[in-house]
Amino acid sequence: MEIQSDVKVKIRVNGTAVSATVQAGDSLLDFLRNQARATDVKCGCNQGDCGTCTVIYDGKAVKSCLVLAAQADGKEVRSLRGLMEDPLMQSLQNAFVECGAVQCGFCTPGMLVASWSLLQENSNPTRGEMRQGISGNLCRCTGYKKIIDAISLAAAQHVVTDGTANLADLADRLDGQAQAKANYLLLGGG
Amino acid sequence: MLHYSFCKPGHLIEALQVLSEYGGRARIAAGCSNLLPDLKARHLQDCLLVDISELEGLRGIQAEGDWATVGSLTTIAELAVSPLLREGAPLLWQACQSFGDPLVRNRATLGGNLGHASPAADTAPPLLAMEASVATESLSGGRREFPIAELFAGPGRTNLRPGELILSLRFPLFQGKHEAFVKFGLRDAMAISLASAALSLRLHDGLMQDVRLAYGSLAATPFRATRTEECLTGMPFNEETLSLASAQAQGEVRPITDVRASSSYRRQLAGALLRQAARAALS
Repeated sequence: MEIQSDVKVKIRVNGTAVSATVQAGDSLLDFLRNQARATDVKCGCNQGDCGTCTVIYDGKAVKSCLVLAAQADGKEVRSLRGLMEDPLMQSLQNAFVECGAVQCGFCTPGMLVASWSLLQENSNPTRGEMRQGISGNLCRCTGYKKIIDAISLAAAQHVVTDGTANLADLADRLDGQAQAKANYLLLGGG
Repeated sequence: MLHYSFCKPGHLIEALQVLSEYGGRARIAAGCSNLLPDLKARHLQDCLLVDISELEGLRGIQAEGDWATVGSLTTIAELAVSPLLREGAPLLWQACQSFGDPLVRNRATLGGNLGHASPAADTAPPLLAMEASVATESLSGGRREFPIAELFAGPGRTNLRPGELILSLRFPLFQGKHEAFVKFGLRDAMAISLASAALSLRLHDGLMQDVRLAYGSLAATPFRATRTEECLTGMPFNEETLSLASAQAQGEVRPITDVRASSSYRRQLAGALLRQAARAALS
């Protein structure tokens, strides 16, 4: 077993293996931004509070500032950019735009990845479950309502795509602006 | 100039060897939800980061009869989705539902939450109330098992011996008790608890028995409020009992004043959380 100050790692980032030498105290976030150049992963608080650095690490949504880069050797990381071809992520991105869930945009990459992870595990969450799902991600602009609206809308669109939708039930679960958008989009307006 | 180094032992013995050799200069890296903020804030001097996150045999929940053994590398998220814990150890399960946030729960480990020895550690009051035991191992001292109440020495300090690693936690399942975990923070997620309480009890002929009450954030360590437990034992569940026990609890806790709350506010929380927990447990 080697004891190293500089650690050679090979981490798959959005499908591409990136080899680099990291310092023992570097976080996965440091590696992603400075070495893998995945600058869609934002650095907010750098201490695990804000969630804007959220990525899918080893299959789970985590805050990349709370993972040691050296620990991530051999692991797979997906950031927002790596999920852009994913239909669920595209629905979420469209819904964020439709619902005005983006203001300054700094929390948005982490919000999208956390929301995507939530809907992967629970395709039909309640608004309470959505609030819990993004509770590790801080947004200082929107007050969260529009973000929850957007997740509701994306979830509803996906249920419709699955062919299991009951539109009346869906409309009941949506709220405010999302309900208006959903009526427009789902009931033939869009 | 701060200097950190890193190693990743391939198996338990190798980990214990390096912990023994480096003593206090070794820092265990598992979920890293406390370690990385400490590194970035430069709270840690030169140290060796020992990555144990992939050591075999320290992860998972095993049931044997009415006892569960949980490996120290089991994540809070894994505990939070365990049907066995939901049915068999609802106190711990409840604490895991509200622990940190979903992203932190995917990384934070049970052993890390306890080994970090924060007075606010959310898993500590349930494990104290359940009278869990901690299994540890070190190179020189071998394996030992002791009650979790003996683990905590002070804020951020444990009674673990140099080079000792927490292997697992063991506690009884399906106790059939009335139980509830409640906590109070300044927001619902990602808030360090101002106070937390875990309460379990039985009712025999309308009287409370086998009462266990443990508090977090209300003293230098998470602790069992044994005098308040005695105050509840043998009493009926009513307003008068709760008033007496709340007053007792407020005298028994030893909270500090910090940026989050004053000690007198926390003292009041001790009584309020006891009432909340009792109502939730018996509802």
